[in-house]
Amino acid sequence: MTETTTRRQSLWSKAAWKLRRDRFGMLGLAVVAAYFLAAVGVWLGLWATGWGDVAGGKWEAPSAAHWFGTNLIGQDIFQRSIYSISTAFEIGLVVAVLSTLLGAVLGAVAGFFSGRATDELVVWLMGVLDSIPFYLLVAAIAFALEGNPWSMHVAMISTFWITTARLVRGEVIKLKGLEFVEAAHAIGVPEYTIIFRHILPNTFHILLVQSTITFVAAIKSEVILSFLGLGVKDGMSWGLMISESTFEVLAGFFNNFLAASVLMFGLVMAFSIFSDALQDALDPRQVS
Amino acid sequence: MSGEPILSVRDLVVEFRTEHGTVRAVDRVSFDVFPNETVGLVGESGCGKTVTGLAILGLIPNPPGRIASGSIRLAGRELVGLPEGELRKLRGREMAMIFQEPMTALNPVFTIGSQMIDILRRYKGLSRGQARAAAIELLAKVGIPAPAQRIDEYPHQLSGGMRQRVVIAMALSCDPKLIVADEPTTALDVTTQAQVLEQIVRLQQEFRMAMILVTHDLGVVAETCQRALVMYCGRVAEKADIAPLFAHPRHPYTAGLLQSLPRVGQQAHQDLPVIPGMVPDLLDLPAGCRFAERCARRDARCDRELPELDGEADSPSRVACFHPL
Amino acid sequence: MEVLQYSLRRLASGIPLLLGVTFISFLLMVYFGPDQTYQLLGKNPTAEQIAEIRAQLGYDQPFLVRYADYLREVATLDFGNSNSTGELVTDLLGRTIPVSLMLILPGFVLGNLLALLLALLAAHYRSRWPDKGIMAFSVTGMSISYLIVIIAFQVIFSSSSGLGWFPVRGWNVHSFAEYLEYVTVPTLATVFVALGYNTRFYRSVIVEELNRDHVRTARAFGVPPAKLLYRNVLKNCLIPIITRVVFTIPLIVISGALLVETYFGIPGVGKVTFDAITTGDQPVLKAVVGLTAVLFVLAQLLTDILYRAVDPRVSLS
Repeated sequence: MTETTTRRQSLWSKAAWKLRRDRFGMLGLAVVAAYFLAAVGVWLGLWATGWGDVAGGKWEAPSAAHWFGTNLIGQDIFQRSIYSISTAFEIGLVVAVLSTLLGAVLGAVAGFFSGRATDELVVWLMGVLDSIPFYLLVAAIAFALEGNPWSMHVAMISTFWITTARLVRGEVIKLKGLEFVEAAHAIGVPEYTIIFRHILPNTFHILLVQSTITFVAAIKSEVILSFLGLGVKDGMSWGLMISESTFEVLAGFFNNFLAASVLMFGLVMAFSIFSDALQDALDPRQVS
Repeated sequence: MSGEPILSVRDLVVEFRTEHGTVRAVDRVSFDVFPNETVGLVGESGCGKTVTGLAILGLIPNPPGRIASGSIRLAGRELVGLPEGELRKLRGREMAMIFQEPMTALNPVFTIGSQMIDILRRYKGLSRGQARAAAIELLAKVGIPAPAQRIDEYPHQLSGGMRQRVVIAMALSCDPKLIVADEPTTALDVTTQAQVLEQIVRLQQEFRMAMILVTHDLGVVAETCQRALVMYCGRVAEKADIAPLFAHPRHPYTAGLLQSLPRVGQQAHQDLPVIPGMVPDLLDLPAGCRFAERCARRDARCDRELPELDGEADSPSRVACFHPL
Repeated sequence: MEVLQYSLRRLASGIPLLLGVTFISFLLMVYFGPDQTYQLLGKNPTAEQIAEIRAQLGYDQPFLVRYADYLREVATLDFGNSNSTGELVTDLLGRTIPVSLMLILPGFVLGNLLALLLALLAAHYRSRWPDKGIMAFSVTGMSISYLIVIIAFQVIFSSSSGLGWFPVRGWNVHSFAEYLEYVTVPTLATVFVALGYNTRFYRSVIVEELNRDHVRTARAFGVPPAKLLYRNVLKNCLIPIITRVVFTIPLIVISGALLVETYFGIPGVGKVTFDAITTGDQPVLKAVVGLTAVLFVLAQLLTDILYRAVDPRVSLS
């Protein structure tokens, strides 16, 4: 076990070193951190508290009182777009954490028992879920759950875990042939202890990268789902703002659309760049 | 050795940029190769022998690697600094390379015939039919049975030894002046090794080519080469004709390599002597002789100064050691 | 003969997938889907009327019986009439699938071809500025939501505040000229979004192949770099490319361009399916789900046969 531990530590310290030297990656991280602070402020009730109040007239132009102007019914667009940052983080974090967990557990179990019935069942499930068009599955889950506010999250998790599980399964199949696993077998460590204590920690680099990718995918899916009427039910989100703007833009009013798309683009772009940098730093193969 | 050398390498320096700094994989290496002779480049893995071979063909992956200085002249023509397009036209035609891994060196999705015909048509201006006939002839020459059938097979249908013969046939196809063979038999099993090696020697003489044989195996050098360069940590430790090199090695490293070869008549239970210690890290080289750490003859000067090759540039036997044997 | 035998075996092995897709979709969309009983009844229905309607819709049967009935419908391609429009389901799909295909195919083809071209360029100049430029464009494209691109392109090309060159929405196609008018803006949006993802994917596939030994051999024999890419490497890369392209086809046929169709009000199969889910139009749902599963099994078969064609190492056994 000591050899793999040192191998792991050197992998992580090397990765941290490489990541720190990646200027774009660090810039991405800084931008994500700024967004996160904005979200924390919303959660603590420090700002964007008046996102639902009618504070002005219809479609007011940007002013000192309303930085991005107001919407159709006179709500402050700046506050609404800032409040939506917290919604984005809520969706991103819940979906990323849960689908990564699900993918890790199912992928590891399938990989460890590869070729046996458990594995075949998981692989079959992945193939089946992959074959159902995403938006139709989401719609079906949303209606099956009868308007439950978490139906969007459930739908995303039920498909986003698949990629993670595939990668983890492949890695576990590789890892289980290594000496330290055979040694653990030989001294009688129970199978599930081997899977979750000895093998799964060695796939952590995959899980980390996958969770950042899932986070971005969740934020992007929210916009489209909200437009289709399957997304956020209570509160405010960029998706709802953009849906609201679909008829405004044809009338020549762009503030709602611009505020939501630019803010969303910034977060998604920064997170993607950070995710790429993380992937480069953790990739031992170095394909350039 | 008479006449002009086919290949003349002078003070070749090849550097690679890594995350931890610049590594000098080849450090001021000089040697000549004359027509119709085989020169061995010998050393442990990482000593710069393969990089030297790749540099000659201009195949150093850039970035991260580059030829930092020095000169490589092929038949009098300077190759260092030649534009990639010019260099490319020399590859396969004037000089060719045989690689270590026959299992992966050929493209798996094309037949061996189409890969050979491609080269023949490009360089010899043959029609498809002529090129095919020429390819079959070459395959027969390298000892492939039933070449007219084999030519339409894919690499995965051939054994490792057969694939290596195909690569050799490709290398011979345009009568190059120089062949660089990088560990051509290392990946093959022992019986095939001997056959392929014999074939290479026979063809080298038949086609009257010059050859550079890159290998870690002194046994292979003894069987095939007229001269050899022993490399250590990117530098030439010793160069000499084969007979004196094996009879009276002068560099302690060469002597160590020779002692670790098994000999006929040696008692089976006797342990082979090994060179103690480890090859230094190219990123963290000692100031003095790079072999000093592992050398029995080391003194204070070895730790301080880097030994250069002794004697005249064209003398047959040169060694880079302050205390040669 | 070999191919035929293989195909039959492969189709048989697709049965678990077929059952899986139909089962899960049936469970979600039909069994747990919206209940239409009260929509079809008048005010103050009697218990008998309710029971009658439920029997008519099949709601009174146990789950497994309903699922088995459904499988029989799939096998006989007899799905009945749509609950919402009364139209025969097969007619409905026959009318809407071509619209979706006409709408999405130009963008799909262009999005893949252009991406492949950009990926080849990026791989050829890898780590140098053309590569960096293309990859920066790709990451930017990936970071903009599809919906935002659609809205932006509509504003730019179709709205009165923009260029106003194309119709704002709808699908009133009777001639090729009209087709071009309606298909251009959705196609531009689709291509823009697809370019980001596809270029990145294709580049990584090509670069991985470029790092292989046989590429070094080809270079050592003087193969020119451009030829190396389009002749040698491209053929080696075909397996992941085929996989990606073929498995997208069923999704296009089924969900079409749901978002584009919804946004532009185009009567394609994506919109029809989506409406069927939201209203619980069981006959339509059953047909679409069955079609999805069958198309995926066929796609699997098609990829296997294509793999055999492009890679001699793959054998049909």
